[in-house]
Amino acid sequence: MKKIIYLALTAATTFLLIQSCSKSSDGGSKNTNTGSSFDRKAMLVNISSNIIIPAYTSYHDATVSLDAAVTTFNTTPTAGNLTALQNSFIAAYKQWQSTSMYNFGPAQDAGLGVNTNTYPVSVTQITANINSGTYNPLLLANLAAKGLPALDYLLFGTGADNAAILAQFTTDSKAANRKTYLAALSAELKTNATTVLAAWNGSYKTTFLNATGTDVSSSTGQLVNQLIYDYEILKNYEIGIPAGTQSMGTTFPEKVQAYYSKISLQLTELHLSAIQNLYNGATGLGLDDYLISANNTALNTRIQTQFSAAATKLQGLTDPLSANIISNPTAVTASYTELQKLTVMLKTDMTQALGIAITFGDNDGD
Amino acid sequence: MPGSVKLNFSSLVKAQVHIAPLSVLRIAFGSIMLVSTIRFILKGWVYAFYIKPQFHFTFYGFDWVKPPAGAGMYVLFAILTVAAIMVTIGLFYRAAIITFFLCFTYVELLDKTTYLNHYYFISVMAFLMIWVPAHRYFSVDTKLRPKIAVTRVPAWTINIFKMQLVLVYFFAGISKLNYDWLIAAMPLKIWLPANSQMPVIGGLLTQTWVAYAFSWFGAIFDLFIGFLLLDGRYRKWAYALVIIFHLSTAVLFKIGMFPYIMICVTIVFFSEKTHIRIVNLLTHFLPKSKHYTSNKDYHLPVFKTQFIYTVLALHFIIQLLLPFRFMLYPGKLYWTEEGYRFSWRVMLMDKGGTIFFYVKDSKTGKRSEIINSQYLTTFQESQMATQPDMILQFAHHLAAEYQKKGINNPIVTADSYVTLNGSGSRLYIDSTVNLAKEQETLLDHKKWIIPFNSTQQ
Repeated sequence: MKKIIYLALTAATTFLLIQSCSKSSDGGSKNTNTGSSFDRKAMLVNISSNIIIPAYTSYHDATVSLDAAVTTFNTTPTAGNLTALQNSFIAAYKQWQSTSMYNFGPAQDAGLGVNTNTYPVSVTQITANINSGTYNPLLLANLAAKGLPALDYLLFGTGADNAAILAQFTTDSKAANRKTYLAALSAELKTNATTVLAAWNGSYKTTFLNATGTDVSSSTGQLVNQLIYDYEILKNYEIGIPAGTQSMGTTFPEKVQAYYSKISLQLTELHLSAIQNLYNGATGLGLDDYLISANNTALNTRIQTQFSAAATKLQGLTDPLSANIISNPTAVTASYTELQKLTVMLKTDMTQALGIAITFGDNDGD
Repeated sequence: MPGSVKLNFSSLVKAQVHIAPLSVLRIAFGSIMLVSTIRFILKGWVYAFYIKPQFHFTFYGFDWVKPPAGAGMYVLFAILTVAAIMVTIGLFYRAAIITFFLCFTYVELLDKTTYLNHYYFISVMAFLMIWVPAHRYFSVDTKLRPKIAVTRVPAWTINIFKMQLVLVYFFAGISKLNYDWLIAAMPLKIWLPANSQMPVIGGLLTQTWVAYAFSWFGAIFDLFIGFLLLDGRYRKWAYALVIIFHLSTAVLFKIGMFPYIMICVTIVFFSEKTHIRIVNLLTHFLPKSKHYTSNKDYHLPVFKTQFIYTVLALHFIIQLLLPFRFMLYPGKLYWTEEGYRFSWRVMLMDKGGTIFFYVKDSKTGKRSEIINSQYLTTFQESQMATQPDMILQFAHHLAAEYQKKGINNPIVTADSYVTLNGSGSRLYIDSTVNLAKEQETLLDHKKWIIPFNSTQQ
């Protein structure tokens, strides 16, 4: 009896072996792991010491300067101080582009992303806050009335030119309220930046370096997931939605990032190169090396090429992006298409090749 | 020969055997279900999987299964918890196991995003447990009504579980007999190095030969373990393998309770002597240590027996056929996933995808790209991206939503890229097909899936 069972099994095995020999991978020519070991911890050390913490430090410094510029301007609201403040603001907004993609750990706890850069702003909400002279940072409705986008409006959008804007802070009946609001917003940015930087300089760095796995809560998992998430924000919110890709072609030029200061495209270009820099691990170990060590050199090349292709398309556009969307919508949607291609490579090819979990929950198993 | 078959049949089905294995199975299954249910609640998954999503991917023919409103979902899980406790201690057992089966299956039918073979396995086990008198020995029920206590039960009441387990392992083994698993060592060649941070074994996991060793060992284990467990001579060693195998999968992969469930329920293969010993051991831990026993046999009226035989025969015929339904479809099974579920295909492939949906106004020709996350959770989106039936369901949902917005006969298309076992992403479905017009059927092939081999990026 037993012999019969085993004979049958062997037969079944042989049969099925022959039957089901259709392959998914191309005979080991690519995408097969040779088994070379990649030091994820070394990558985390490099990324945290050479990219993340410097980014948070610079951003923190930028918010400190910004807050100081606000204080100076509020004390002495002159045209010169306004320009200086505007320049401080632009510097902070630029630095934010290489700071936004680490929205896990301390940044997530502080709600850094949404509190810093929720746009488009609600001018109605901002006006209401100024008129009433009250501002509650914890109020959900105020997410669209705070952070860099709100400053963008206050410093660049409250008048047709700098003289008119200055008047809003000097002769206007609500000038005092407006200055108070300005100070509250820059102080909040500074506080949040300080909190997050302190956490990274403190115990969180150890936590980050020790979570060396590849599941959703591991540091590599969080880095990759947030990189993709932030990249999709770039693609959708900085370009796609304003260009009308999600609204039957109806464009929303006013929904771009930094609509009032008109530096949208500049910021997007910085943002894209910051994401690429994170991918590359700057000059050290990054996701590119990780892919190469997993024998996915070809994929890495494709990703690098696509980063360049997208950057080239963006370079073909001009600031103000909002005007460009109206004057040359085809060029903008063409950039969008190029950005879209990179999404697939990062989200699907890269995560699968590295075995990185992109969702929580149990997987199937036996 | 016919005589021996008859003898075998009656010894496997009708012979009176000791009931202890059934009681132990009841306790093992009930307690592991209790742990699973509580774990599920504590992880916040009741909310994340069933309350938060505004849209659910129901199973074909089960569109009527909707999550209960408000706190209803939590009530359902509270009922599951209580039912699991009652099954464990054997209190109002039949009512408890029927309730457990119905509630659990209901939850599983709500959304195929969360489909796992091990949830299907739990439903199947709970279903089988409905038909057996697992409460007539070493249970609260026998304390309350000593009259119902029995010592011997017909062998089928225990053997159906062994048969089910043998089928599960064997089919899992057969499904591993393919090029990807055995020759390319995929997906383990991707999954194992992802664990290289582990102490001691971490370095080994990045070695190619280890991926091969795991693949082959896994396939051989699944194919033969059921049969080895059946044989008294190898049982102890086989069970040791069960423990080693499942524990190592628990350490290496994020597969939740499944390893522990299998370790618990495979105890059923042991002899009645072992089970009596387990019961005696458990008795020591109980306050009133003497449990009621009688020397009675379990007897059912003929018509009931025949009814149960019919139900079980049907069950096992379905169990034998379901895993083969993939043969009805053309193309590569892992790619199309047509006939993939309910077949004990576990941990077989590494698949991921990205999908962009477009809704076009057929009147104006203008189109919108959909932000999937406005309708779906990340988990739903990632599961949908690689499963054609879910893609179709979501496309229909989008069509309905845009219809509501006043766009008549919206055209829904999708650009979808999928990578399978390291193939690199390839175009997955025909991006020119209006998915709003395609219908889901029970068994028809979806012609708009682009065959695996014909596309390469």
